[in-house]
Amino acid sequence: MNLQEYIASGILESYVVGDLNDHDRAEVEDNLRQYPELRQELAKIEQAHEAILLRAAVDPPVAAKQKVMAKISSRDTSPPAEPAPVVPAWWKYAAAAILAVALVNGYLAYNYHARWQQSQQEVDELISQNQQLALDRNRMEQVLDTTVGTLSILSDPSFRKILLNGTENSPQSLAQVFWNPTTNEVYLDVETLTALPSDRQYQLWAIVEGTPVDAGVFDAGEQLLKMKNVARANAFAVTIEPKGGSENPSLETLQVIGNT
Amino acid sequence: MKVFFKERKPAYFFLPAFFSISCSCSIANHIPTYYSHIDEASLVEELRGRNPAALGYLYDQYSGALYGVIFRILQHEAISEEVLQDTFLKIWNRIDQFDPEKGKLFTWMYRLARNNAIDRTRSGDFVKSTKTGTIGNLVNMESDWRTQKQTDAIGVSELIKTLPEEQRFVVEHVYFKGYTQSEIADEYQLPLGTVKTRLRLALIHLRNRMDKL
Repeated sequence: MNLQEYIASGILESYVVGDLNDHDRAEVEDNLRQYPELRQELAKIEQAHEAILLRAAVDPPVAAKQKVMAKISSRDTSPPAEPAPVVPAWWKYAAAAILAVALVNGYLAYNYHARWQQSQQEVDELISQNQQLALDRNRMEQVLDTTVGTLSILSDPSFRKILLNGTENSPQSLAQVFWNPTTNEVYLDVETLTALPSDRQYQLWAIVEGTPVDAGVFDAGEQLLKMKNVARANAFAVTIEPKGGSENPSLETLQVIGNT
Repeated sequence: MKVFFKERKPAYFFLPAFFSISCSCSIANHIPTYYSHIDEASLVEELRGRNPAALGYLYDQYSGALYGVIFRILQHEAISEEVLQDTFLKIWNRIDQFDPEKGKLFTWMYRLARNNAIDRTRSGDFVKSTKTGTIGNLVNMESDWRTQKQTDAIGVSELIKTLPEEQRFVVEHVYFKGYTQSEIADEYQLPLGTVKTRLRLALIHLRNRMDKL
Protein backbone atom coordinates (compact mmCIF):
# COMPACT_ATOMS: atom_id res chain seq x y z
CA MET A 1 0.00 0.00 0.00
CA ASN A 2 1.27 3.46 -0.82
CA LEU A 3 1.54 5.06 2.59
CA GLN A 4 2.16 8.55 1.27
CA GLU A 5 -0.98 8.47 -0.82
CA TYR A 6 -2.92 6.99 2.04
CA ILE A 7 -1.78 9.76 4.38
CA ALA A 8 -2.33 12.47 1.75
CA SER A 9 -5.95 11.37 1.27
CA GLY A 10 -6.81 12.83 4.67
CA ILE A 11 -8.27 9.59 5.93
CA LEU A 12 -6.35 9.81 9.19
CA GLU A 13 -7.78 13.28 9.83
CA SER A 14 -11.26 11.91 9.17
CA TYR A 15 -10.48 9.08 11.58
CA VAL A 16 -9.47 11.47 14.37
CA VAL A 17 -12.34 13.88 13.82
CA GLY A 18 -14.79 10.97 13.87
CA ASP A 19 -16.18 11.19 10.34
CA LEU A 20 -15.66 7.51 9.42
CA ASN A 21 -18.28 4.74 9.56
CA ASP A 22 -17.62 1.51 11.43
CA HIS A 23 -16.27 -0.29 8.40
CA ASP A 24 -13.80 2.41 7.33
CA ARG A 25 -12.73 2.97 10.90
CA ALA A 26 -11.93 -0.71 11.34
CA GLU A 27 -9.87 -0.58 8.14
CA VAL A 28 -7.84 2.39 9.40
CA GLU A 29 -7.25 0.65 12.74
CA ASP A 30 -6.04 -2.38 10.87
CA ASN A 31 -3.57 -0.27 8.90
CA LEU A 32 -2.43 1.53 12.03
CA ARG A 33 -1.56 -1.79 13.58
CA GLN A 34 0.52 -2.74 10.57
CA TYR A 35 2.38 0.48 9.74
CA PRO A 36 4.36 2.45 12.34
CA GLU A 37 4.63 5.37 9.88
CA LEU A 38 0.87 5.73 10.04
CA ARG A 39 0.95 5.69 13.82
CA GLN A 40 3.53 8.47 13.81
CA GLU A 41 1.48 10.58 11.43
CA LEU A 42 -1.62 9.88 13.52
CA ALA A 43 0.12 11.09 16.69
CA LYS A 44 0.89 14.45 15.05
CA ILE A 45 -2.65 14.85 13.81
CA GLU A 46 -3.98 14.04 17.24
CA GLN A 47 -1.77 16.67 18.85
CA ALA A 48 -3.08 19.38 16.56
CA HIS A 49 -6.62 18.15 17.06
CA GLU A 50 -6.31 18.29 20.82
CA ALA A 51 -4.77 21.75 20.73
CA ILE A 52 -7.60 23.18 18.70
CA LEU A 53 -10.25 21.62 20.88
CA LEU A 54 -8.66 22.92 24.01
CA ARG A 55 -8.70 26.32 22.37
CA ALA A 56 -12.35 25.81 21.55
CA ALA A 57 -13.20 24.64 25.07
CA VAL A 58 -16.33 25.86 26.83
CA ASP A 59 -16.64 25.65 30.62
CA PRO A 60 -19.41 23.34 31.73
CA PRO A 61 -21.66 24.27 34.69
CA VAL A 62 -19.67 24.06 37.93
CA ALA A 63 -21.97 21.58 39.64
CA ALA A 64 -21.47 18.98 36.94
CA LYS A 65 -18.17 17.67 38.28
CA GLN A 66 -19.58 16.84 41.65
CA LYS A 67 -22.39 14.84 40.11
CA VAL A 68 -19.96 12.84 38.02
CA MET A 69 -17.64 12.09 40.93
CA ALA A 70 -20.62 11.10 43.09
CA LYS A 71 -21.83 8.66 40.49
CA ILE A 72 -18.49 6.97 40.01
CA SER A 73 -17.66 6.57 43.67
CA SER A 74 -20.95 4.83 44.26
CA ARG A 75 -19.79 2.24 41.77
CA ASP A 76 -16.20 2.40 42.87
CA THR A 77 -15.89 -1.00 44.43
CA SER A 78 -18.11 -2.90 42.07
CA PRO A 79 -17.17 -3.89 38.55
CA PRO A 80 -18.69 -1.75 35.78
CA ALA A 81 -22.05 -2.86 34.50
CA GLU A 82 -21.30 -1.68 31.00
CA PRO A 83 -22.43 -3.96 28.25
CA ALA A 84 -19.91 -5.76 26.05
CA PRO A 85 -18.39 -3.79 23.18
CA VAL A 86 -20.04 -3.61 19.79
CA VAL A 87 -19.79 -6.71 17.68
CA PRO A 88 -16.61 -6.51 15.61
CA ALA A 89 -17.15 -5.72 11.95
CA TRP A 90 -16.23 -9.13 10.62
CA TRP A 91 -18.97 -10.86 12.59
CA LYS A 92 -21.52 -9.03 10.47
CA TYR A 93 -20.02 -10.57 7.36
CA ALA A 94 -19.89 -14.00 8.99
CA ALA A 95 -23.53 -13.65 9.98
CA ALA A 96 -24.45 -12.54 6.46
CA ALA A 97 -22.53 -15.47 4.98
CA ILE A 98 -24.21 -17.96 7.32
CA LEU A 99 -27.60 -16.50 6.49
CA ALA A 100 -26.84 -16.80 2.79
CA VAL A 101 -25.82 -20.46 3.24
CA ALA A 102 -28.99 -21.11 5.23
CA LEU A 103 -31.14 -19.57 2.51
CA VAL A 104 -29.38 -21.58 -0.20
CA ASN A 105 -29.84 -24.74 1.87
CA GLY A 106 -33.51 -23.96 2.36
CA TYR A 107 -34.00 -23.52 -1.36
CA LEU A 108 -32.11 -26.71 -2.21
CA ALA A 109 -34.07 -28.67 0.38
CA TYR A 110 -37.34 -27.49 -1.14
CA ASN A 111 -36.04 -28.25 -4.61
CA TYR A 112 -34.95 -31.78 -3.74
CA HIS A 113 -38.17 -32.46 -1.92
CA ALA A 114 -40.15 -31.46 -5.00
CA ARG A 115 -38.01 -33.71 -7.17
CA TRP A 116 -38.34 -36.57 -4.75
CA GLN A 117 -42.09 -36.20 -4.80
CA GLN A 118 -42.06 -36.27 -8.55
CA SER A 119 -39.91 -39.38 -8.53
CA GLN A 120 -42.31 -41.00 -6.09
CA GLN A 121 -45.19 -40.28 -8.42
CA GLU A 122 -43.27 -41.72 -11.35
CA VAL A 123 -42.51 -44.83 -9.33
CA ASP A 124 -46.17 -45.21 -8.43
CA GLU A 125 -47.15 -44.85 -12.05
CA LEU A 126 -44.59 -47.44 -13.08
CA ILE A 127 -45.91 -49.85 -10.45
CA SER A 128 -49.47 -49.51 -11.66
CA GLN A 129 -48.35 -49.87 -15.27
CA ASN A 130 -46.51 -52.98 -14.26
CA GLN A 131 -49.60 -54.37 -12.62
CA GLN A 132 -51.61 -53.60 -15.69
CA LEU A 133 -49.05 -55.39 -17.87
CA ALA A 134 -49.22 -58.42 -15.58
CA LEU A 135 -53.00 -58.51 -15.92
CA ASP A 136 -52.77 -58.15 -19.67
CA ARG A 137 -50.25 -60.92 -19.83
CA ASN A 138 -52.44 -63.20 -17.76
CA ARG A 139 -55.35 -62.52 -20.03
CA MET A 140 -53.27 -63.16 -23.08
CA GLU A 141 -52.01 -66.37 -21.62
CA GLN A 142 -55.59 -67.43 -21.10
CA VAL A 143 -56.44 -66.55 -24.66
CA LEU A 144 -53.37 -68.43 -25.79
CA ASP A 145 -54.36 -71.46 -23.75
CA THR A 146 -57.82 -71.36 -25.24
CA THR A 147 -56.42 -71.02 -28.72
CA VAL A 148 -53.96 -73.85 -28.21
CA GLY A 149 -56.77 -75.93 -26.82
CA THR A 150 -58.95 -75.16 -29.78
CA LEU A 151 -56.16 -75.92 -32.17
CA SER A 152 -55.41 -79.25 -30.55
CA ILE A 153 -59.00 -80.31 -30.82
CA LEU A 154 -59.29 -79.17 -34.38
CA SER A 155 -56.19 -81.10 -35.37
CA ASP A 156 -56.93 -84.16 -33.28
CA PRO A 157 -57.81 -86.96 -35.69
CA SER A 158 -59.93 -88.81 -33.13
CA PHE A 159 -62.46 -85.95 -33.22
CA ARG A 160 -65.08 -86.19 -35.93
CA LYS A 161 -66.19 -82.94 -37.46
CA ILE A 162 -69.91 -82.69 -38.11
CA LEU A 163 -71.14 -79.69 -40.03
CA LEU A 164 -74.55 -78.35 -39.01
CA ASN A 165 -76.29 -76.53 -41.80
CA GLY A 166 -78.96 -73.87 -41.55
CA THR A 167 -82.63 -74.81 -41.77
CA GLU A 168 -85.62 -72.99 -43.22
CA ASN A 169 -85.83 -71.05 -39.93
CA SER A 170 -82.34 -69.60 -40.40
CA PRO A 171 -80.77 -70.62 -43.64
CA GLN A 172 -77.62 -68.53 -43.02
CA SER A 173 -76.75 -70.21 -39.73
CA LEU A 174 -73.83 -72.54 -39.48
CA ALA A 175 -72.24 -74.54 -36.73
CA GLN A 176 -69.76 -77.33 -36.30
CA VAL A 177 -69.66 -80.13 -33.81
CA PHE A 178 -66.47 -81.91 -32.92
CA TRP A 179 -67.35 -85.33 -31.50
CA ASN A 180 -64.95 -87.85 -30.10
CA PRO A 181 -66.80 -91.18 -30.08
CA THR A 182 -64.12 -92.76 -27.91
CA THR A 183 -64.11 -90.21 -25.07
CA ASN A 184 -67.68 -88.98 -25.85
CA GLU A 185 -66.46 -85.40 -25.67
CA VAL A 186 -68.42 -82.87 -27.69
CA TYR A 187 -67.21 -79.46 -28.70
CA LEU A 188 -69.43 -76.99 -30.44
CA ASP A 189 -68.09 -74.27 -32.65
CA VAL A 190 -70.71 -71.64 -33.27
CA GLU A 191 -70.17 -69.85 -36.50
CA THR A 192 -73.13 -67.65 -37.22
CA LEU A 193 -75.95 -67.91 -34.75
CA THR A 194 -77.79 -64.67 -33.96
CA ALA A 195 -78.19 -63.32 -30.50
CA LEU A 196 -81.28 -64.28 -28.53
CA PRO A 197 -83.52 -62.39 -26.10
CA SER A 198 -82.52 -62.88 -22.49
CA ASP A 199 -85.30 -65.40 -21.77
CA ARG A 200 -84.17 -67.76 -24.54
CA GLN A 201 -81.15 -69.92 -25.14
CA TYR A 202 -79.91 -72.24 -27.82
CA GLN A 203 -79.87 -75.95 -27.03
CA LEU A 204 -77.81 -78.69 -28.66
CA TRP A 205 -79.38 -82.11 -29.25
CA ALA A 206 -77.84 -85.40 -30.19
CA ILE A 207 -80.31 -87.42 -32.27
CA VAL A 208 -80.00 -91.12 -31.38
CA GLU A 209 -82.19 -93.38 -33.54
CA GLY A 210 -84.74 -90.64 -33.91
CA THR A 211 -84.74 -89.69 -30.21
CA PRO A 212 -83.24 -86.27 -29.29
CA VAL A 213 -80.87 -86.24 -26.32
CA ASP A 214 -79.92 -83.02 -24.55
CA ALA A 215 -76.30 -82.00 -25.06
CA GLY A 216 -76.29 -78.63 -23.28
CA VAL A 217 -77.41 -75.03 -23.62
CA PHE A 218 -75.40 -72.12 -24.86
CA ASP A 219 -75.59 -68.54 -25.99
CA ALA A 220 -74.64 -66.98 -29.27
CA GLY A 221 -71.30 -65.31 -29.69
CA GLU A 222 -69.23 -67.82 -27.82
CA GLN A 223 -66.43 -69.70 -29.47
CA LEU A 224 -65.49 -73.35 -29.06
CA LEU A 225 -67.71 -74.76 -26.31
CA LYS A 226 -67.47 -78.02 -24.49
CA MET A 227 -70.91 -79.61 -24.38
CA LYS A 228 -72.27 -82.64 -22.57
CA ASN A 229 -70.76 -85.98 -23.44
CA VAL A 230 -72.61 -87.98 -26.06
CA ALA A 231 -72.06 -91.72 -26.47
CA ARG A 232 -73.96 -92.33 -29.69
CA ALA A 233 -75.45 -89.98 -32.21
CA ASN A 234 -76.84 -90.12 -35.70
CA ALA A 235 -77.20 -86.37 -35.99
CA PHE A 236 -76.77 -83.11 -34.07
CA ALA A 237 -79.24 -80.24 -34.05
CA VAL A 238 -79.70 -76.84 -32.41
CA THR A 239 -83.03 -75.40 -31.33
CA ILE A 240 -84.18 -72.33 -29.49
CA GLU A 241 -85.56 -73.07 -26.05
CA PRO A 242 -86.51 -71.11 -22.99
CA LYS A 243 -83.53 -70.12 -20.91
CA GLY A 244 -82.13 -73.15 -19.13
CA GLY A 245 -83.22 -75.60 -21.79
CA SER A 246 -86.12 -78.05 -22.27
CA GLU A 247 -86.55 -81.82 -21.97
CA ASN A 248 -87.75 -82.08 -25.50
CA PRO A 249 -86.78 -79.91 -28.40
CA SER A 250 -89.07 -77.37 -29.96
CA LEU A 251 -88.44 -78.68 -33.38
CA GLU A 252 -90.24 -75.81 -35.04
CA THR A 253 -87.32 -73.63 -33.98
CA LEU A 254 -84.70 -75.87 -35.49
CA GLN A 255 -81.75 -73.76 -36.51
CA VAL A 256 -79.07 -76.07 -37.77
CA ILE A 257 -78.79 -79.77 -38.20
CA GLY A 258 -76.22 -82.21 -39.52
CA ASN A 259 -75.83 -85.97 -39.79
CA THR A 260 -72.85 -87.78 -38.39
CA MET B 1 -9.26 12.12 54.03
CA LYS B 2 -6.51 10.02 55.63
CA VAL B 3 -8.55 6.86 55.14
CA PHE B 4 -9.10 7.87 51.57
CA PHE B 5 -5.38 8.10 50.99
CA LYS B 6 -4.57 4.84 52.77
CA GLU B 7 -7.05 2.90 50.65
CA ARG B 8 -5.58 4.09 47.42
CA LYS B 9 -2.65 2.54 45.73
CA PRO B 10 0.70 4.23 46.23
CA ALA B 11 0.53 5.14 42.52
CA TYR B 12 -1.96 7.82 43.48
CA PHE B 13 0.89 9.89 44.76
CA PHE B 14 2.34 9.98 41.28
CA LEU B 15 -0.51 12.16 40.06
CA PRO B 16 0.75 15.50 41.32
CA ALA B 17 4.21 14.42 40.28
CA PHE B 18 3.41 13.75 36.68
CA PHE B 19 1.13 16.73 36.53
CA SER B 20 4.01 19.02 37.28
CA ILE B 21 6.38 17.08 35.05
CA SER B 22 3.98 17.20 32.13
CA CYS B 23 3.35 20.90 32.71
CA SER B 24 7.01 21.67 32.56
CA CYS B 25 7.46 19.42 29.54
CA SER B 26 4.62 21.18 27.75
CA ILE B 27 5.98 24.61 28.52
CA ALA B 28 9.37 23.50 27.29
CA ASN B 29 8.00 22.05 24.04
CA HIS B 30 5.20 24.57 23.49
CA ILE B 31 2.90 21.70 22.68
CA PRO B 32 -0.43 22.27 24.38
CA THR B 33 -0.87 18.79 25.82
CA TYR B 34 -1.22 17.97 29.46
CA TYR B 35 0.69 14.78 29.44
CA SER B 36 3.32 13.07 27.36
CA HIS B 37 3.01 9.64 25.90
CA ILE B 38 4.47 7.97 28.98
CA ASP B 39 2.18 9.82 31.30
CA GLU B 40 -0.85 8.82 29.33
CA ALA B 41 -0.03 5.18 30.00
CA SER B 42 0.11 5.78 33.76
CA LEU B 43 -3.11 7.73 33.68
CA VAL B 44 -4.84 4.92 31.84
CA GLU B 45 -3.47 2.45 34.37
CA GLU B 46 -4.83 4.57 37.21
CA LEU B 47 -8.23 4.66 35.55
CA ARG B 48 -8.20 0.92 35.05
CA GLY B 49 -7.31 0.56 38.71
CA ARG B 50 -10.55 2.42 39.51
CA ASN B 51 -8.78 5.41 41.00
CA PRO B 52 -11.37 8.24 41.10
CA ALA B 53 -8.68 10.84 41.41
CA ALA B 54 -7.53 9.92 37.90
CA LEU B 55 -10.98 10.67 36.52
CA GLY B 56 -11.11 13.89 38.50
CA TYR B 57 -7.86 14.89 36.89
CA LEU B 58 -9.18 14.11 33.42
CA TYR B 59 -12.29 16.11 34.19
CA ASP B 60 -10.30 19.15 35.28
CA GLN B 61 -8.18 19.09 32.17
CA TYR B 62 -10.62 18.06 29.49
CA SER B 63 -14.19 18.73 30.51
CA GLY B 64 -14.03 22.11 28.82
CA ALA B 65 -12.80 20.67 25.53
CA LEU B 66 -15.45 17.93 25.60
CA TYR B 67 -18.24 20.23 26.73
CA GLY B 68 -17.39 22.54 23.85
CA VAL B 69 -17.77 19.66 21.40
CA ILE B 70 -21.07 18.57 22.93
CA PHE B 71 -22.54 22.03 23.22
CA ARG B 72 -21.77 22.96 19.66
CA ILE B 73 -23.77 19.93 18.49
CA LEU B 74 -26.70 20.20 20.90
CA GLN B 75 -26.95 23.96 21.48
CA HIS B 76 -28.73 23.34 24.75
CA GLU B 77 -27.13 23.78 28.17
CA ALA B 78 -29.10 21.34 30.30
CA ILE B 79 -28.94 18.46 27.81
CA SER B 80 -25.26 19.16 27.13
CA GLU B 81 -24.51 18.91 30.84
CA GLU B 82 -26.33 15.57 30.97
CA VAL B 83 -24.39 14.30 27.98
CA LEU B 84 -21.10 15.49 29.50
CA GLN B 85 -21.76 13.57 32.71
CA ASP B 86 -22.77 10.56 30.69
CA THR B 87 -19.55 10.82 28.69
CA PHE B 88 -17.36 10.81 31.77
CA LEU B 89 -19.24 7.86 33.17
CA LYS B 90 -18.66 6.04 29.91
CA ILE B 91 -14.97 6.92 30.06
CA TRP B 92 -14.88 5.50 33.57
CA ASN B 93 -16.77 2.32 32.74
CA ARG B 94 -15.28 1.57 29.36
CA ILE B 95 -11.63 2.40 30.00
CA ASP B 96 -10.80 -1.27 29.43
CA GLN B 97 -11.96 -0.86 25.83
CA PHE B 98 -9.44 1.90 25.15
CA ASP B 99 -6.69 0.58 22.90
CA PRO B 100 -3.57 2.76 22.72
CA GLU B 101 -2.72 1.27 19.32
CA LYS B 102 -5.76 2.99 17.88
CA GLY B 103 -4.87 6.50 19.01
CA LYS B 104 -4.49 8.71 22.02
CA LEU B 105 -6.74 8.78 25.05
CA PHE B 106 -8.02 12.24 24.21
CA THR B 107 -9.13 11.16 20.72
CA TRP B 108 -11.02 8.26 22.27
CA MET B 109 -12.70 10.54 24.83
CA TYR B 110 -13.54 13.08 22.16
CA ARG B 111 -15.24 10.41 20.04
CA LEU B 112 -17.29 9.18 23.00
CA ALA B 113 -18.44 12.75 23.64
CA ARG B 114 -19.25 13.42 20.00
CA ASN B 115 -21.13 10.18 19.40
CA ASN B 116 -23.07 10.69 22.61
CA ALA B 117 -24.11 14.15 21.51
CA ILE B 118 -25.06 13.00 18.00
CA ASP B 119 -27.13 10.13 19.45
CA ARG B 120 -28.94 12.65 21.58
CA THR B 121 -29.93 14.69 18.53
CA ARG B 122 -31.77 11.60 17.29
CA SER B 123 -33.66 10.90 20.50
CA GLY B 124 -37.28 11.88 21.02
CA ASP B 125 -36.82 14.63 23.57
CA PHE B 126 -34.46 16.74 21.49
CA VAL B 127 -35.39 19.64 19.25
CA LYS B 128 -32.49 20.51 17.03
CA SER B 129 -31.78 24.16 16.40
CA THR B 130 -29.77 25.38 13.46
CA LYS B 131 -26.03 25.27 13.49
CA THR B 132 -25.75 28.99 12.74
CA GLY B 133 -26.45 29.61 16.42
CA THR B 134 -22.85 28.71 17.18
CA ILE B 135 -21.51 31.94 15.71
CA GLY B 136 -22.37 33.65 18.96
CA ASN B 137 -20.43 30.97 20.78
CA LEU B 138 -17.34 31.62 18.76
CA VAL B 139 -17.43 35.30 19.58
CA ASN B 140 -17.76 34.52 23.31
CA MET B 141 -14.82 32.22 23.28
CA GLU B 142 -12.53 34.63 21.63
CA SER B 143 -12.99 37.14 24.38
CA ASP B 144 -13.26 34.68 27.25
CA TRP B 145 -9.96 33.48 28.59
CA ARG B 146 -11.33 31.57 31.58
CA THR B 147 -11.14 28.32 29.64
CA GLN B 148 -7.49 28.77 28.83
CA LYS B 149 -5.16 26.68 30.93
CA GLN B 150 -2.16 27.25 28.80
CA THR B 151 -0.82 30.49 27.36
CA ASP B 152 0.00 28.53 24.24
CA ALA B 153 -3.70 28.17 23.53
CA ILE B 154 -3.80 31.84 22.63
CA GLY B 155 -1.19 31.03 20.03
CA VAL B 156 -3.46 28.42 18.46
CA SER B 157 -6.19 30.98 18.07
CA GLU B 158 -3.78 33.32 16.32
CA LEU B 159 -2.53 30.49 14.16
CA ILE B 160 -6.03 29.68 12.98
CA LYS B 161 -6.33 33.25 11.81
CA THR B 162 -3.19 32.87 9.73
CA LEU B 163 -4.64 29.98 7.74
CA PRO B 164 -5.63 30.52 4.10
CA GLU B 165 -9.28 31.52 3.93
CA GLU B 166 -10.63 28.18 2.62
CA GLN B 167 -8.71 26.17 5.24
CA ARG B 168 -9.78 28.39 8.10
CA PHE B 169 -13.37 28.00 6.90
CA VAL B 170 -13.13 24.21 7.21
CA VAL B 171 -11.39 24.32 10.61
CA GLU B 172 -13.95 26.72 12.04
CA HIS B 173 -16.85 24.61 10.79
CA VAL B 174 -15.44 21.28 11.97
CA TYR B 175 -14.12 22.38 15.37
CA PHE B 176 -16.14 25.43 16.32
CA LYS B 177 -19.46 24.73 14.68
CA GLY B 178 -19.75 20.96 15.04
CA TYR B 179 -20.07 20.11 11.36
CA THR B 180 -18.96 16.80 9.86
CA GLN B 181 -16.90 17.06 6.69
CA SER B 182 -19.84 15.61 4.72
CA GLU B 183 -22.17 18.26 6.09
CA ILE B 184 -19.77 21.01 5.02
CA ALA B 185 -19.52 19.47 1.53
CA ASP B 186 -23.29 19.24 1.20
CA GLU B 187 -24.18 22.66 2.57
CA TYR B 188 -21.52 24.63 0.76
CA GLN B 189 -21.53 22.64 -2.49
CA LEU B 190 -17.93 21.50 -2.21
CA PRO B 191 -16.50 18.15 -3.26
CA LEU B 192 -15.91 15.99 -0.18
CA GLY B 193 -12.32 15.33 -1.23
CA THR B 194 -11.66 19.07 -1.30
CA VAL B 195 -13.00 19.47 2.23
CA LYS B 196 -10.82 16.65 3.46
CA THR B 197 -7.73 18.05 1.79
CA ARG B 198 -8.31 21.49 3.27
CA LEU B 199 -8.74 20.08 6.77
CA ARG B 200 -5.57 18.09 6.39
CA LEU B 201 -3.57 21.04 5.11
CA ALA B 202 -4.91 23.21 7.92
CA LEU B 203 -3.88 20.70 10.57
CA ILE B 204 -0.44 20.32 9.01
CA HIS B 205 -0.05 24.09 8.89
CA LEU B 206 -1.07 24.38 12.55
CA ARG B 207 1.09 21.63 13.88
CA ASN B 208 4.16 22.81 12.01
CA ARG B 209 3.79 26.23 13.49
CA MET B 210 2.83 25.05 16.94
CA ASP B 211 6.27 23.49 17.31
CA LYS B 212 7.77 26.89 16.86
CA LEU B 213 5.65 28.71 19.41
